[in-house]
Amino acid sequence: MSGGSARSLAKGSAPPGPVPEGLIRVYSMRFCPFAQRTRLVLKAKGIRHQIININLKNKPEWFFKKNPFGLVPVLENSQGQLIYESAITCEYLDEAYPGKKLLPDDPYEKAYQKMVFELFSKIPSLVASFLRRQNEEDCSGLKEELRKEFSKLEEVLTNKKTTFFGGNSVSMIDYLIWPWFERLEVLELNDCADHTLKLKLWMAAMREDPAVSALLTEPKVFRGFLSLYLQNSPDACDYGL
Amino acid sequence: IMEDATRALGKGSLPPGPVPDGLIRIYSMRFCPYAHRTRLVLRAKGIRHEVININLRNKPEWYYTKHPFGQIPVLENSKCQLIYESVIACEYLDDAYPGRKLYPYDPYERARQKMLLELFYKVPHLTKECLVALRCGRECADLKLALRQEFCNLEEILGYQNTIFFGGDCISMIDYLFWPWFERLDVYGIADCLNHTPALRLWTAAMKQDPTVCALLIDKNIFLGFLNLYFQNNPDAFDYGLPC
Repeated sequence: MSGGSARSLAKGSAPPGPVPEGLIRVYSMRFCPFAQRTRLVLKAKGIRHQIININLKNKPEWFFKKNPFGLVPVLENSQGQLIYESAITCEYLDEAYPGKKLLPDDPYEKAYQKMVFELFSKIPSLVASFLRRQNEEDCSGLKEELRKEFSKLEEVLTNKKTTFFGGNSVSMIDYLIWPWFERLEVLELNDCADHTLKLKLWMAAMREDPAVSALLTEPKVFRGFLSLYLQNSPDACDYGL
Repeated sequence: IMEDATRALGKGSLPPGPVPDGLIRIYSMRFCPYAHRTRLVLRAKGIRHEVININLRNKPEWYYTKHPFGQIPVLENSKCQLIYESVIACEYLDDAYPGRKLYPYDPYERARQKMLLELFYKVPHLTKECLVALRCGRECADLKLALRQEFCNLEEILGYQNTIFFGGDCISMIDYLFWPWFERLDVYGIADCLNHTPALRLWTAAMKQDPTVCALLIDKNIFLGFLNLYFQNNPDAFDYGLPC
């Protein structure tokens, strides 16, 4: 599994060659929460892969041939097939590769995970808005909205009476939502979870998961990246290398 | 007679009982495009089902126990399990019921259909905005332009694939997920948005030949009658066209 700490490719870089057989490639960025979903699934399922990091502030021209939207993550296999949209990449990996199934076989339980995913769907944009906030008023309003969304997730855990969102062991839905919860501490948003105790317990349990802990980013490295990223620096994506 | 030709339940109605074994229930509304997706899948797979129509302007109190925001469609099975969001409901039906699979088996082809669905996401909002603008006497040239652009993107896909349907040479899930909005273009008054997309026009013609699409096709006059009442805020709109 190579290239996790490789420098990102930017404008003017040569397009990478085809993906060797027996490997799958993920176009990624070390700090992107959406790409982290895909990397978590690759790790959890033990899938042999290579990572090519993309400089999202200075994208290579060839990258738009991989994904017309120019976003990470994108999967490319040795047949040249391209899959994008993080949730779609995760489901593809679960279906295409053997070993531990992260999505349940039971049709209802699978649908349930997708309904929980919908319940989570406002959180990424709220966190992104929080990053771009201009003043204190924005801040408290956004935190209040975030608390509301956390309450919805708390309700799920309360109703299910399990540690994780899919049952008593980690499954797809937990990996899909984790990246934003990992970032709460460094964004000083941890207090938004003060009243959602089961969610806090879930966060602690997730940190014990082997795939999650293998992919954790040190808070100070993330802070360094964030500061550069918010200034639109083309060096942001390689911070810490 | 359409399977869903029943009066919509409103405030004060009695909650329906549990779903009998061997049946699945869909909470629906005869003219809703999202519910239409799920009804197409039920029909295409030959799934025995019952339809309960909901009065969306006067929702029954009990309906919020089926969906937290009272939206449709919702599936309810005989184990009291509830499934909502139209796309999730459609996938659930394909997974849970035997027979003809509407999603492909191949993981990459499945992923392709889901990526195509992402390409479609602006269409429902744009078609609705055009309808509202026209019905309120506003012009909507900008909206129609935006919609034409979305149709161009879909046209490109059909051109690149060189297939009749979005999933290949046979109809499949993605075609059913797109269809309800294309069926409504004419009655919404925006069929001319297809003027510059011949492959898409061929696709709509092929879709109209599909037995499932045909069986669920809504009569134009009935749809217009519904729209007239709906835009007058008449709570009886949802039952328009039902025998008295």
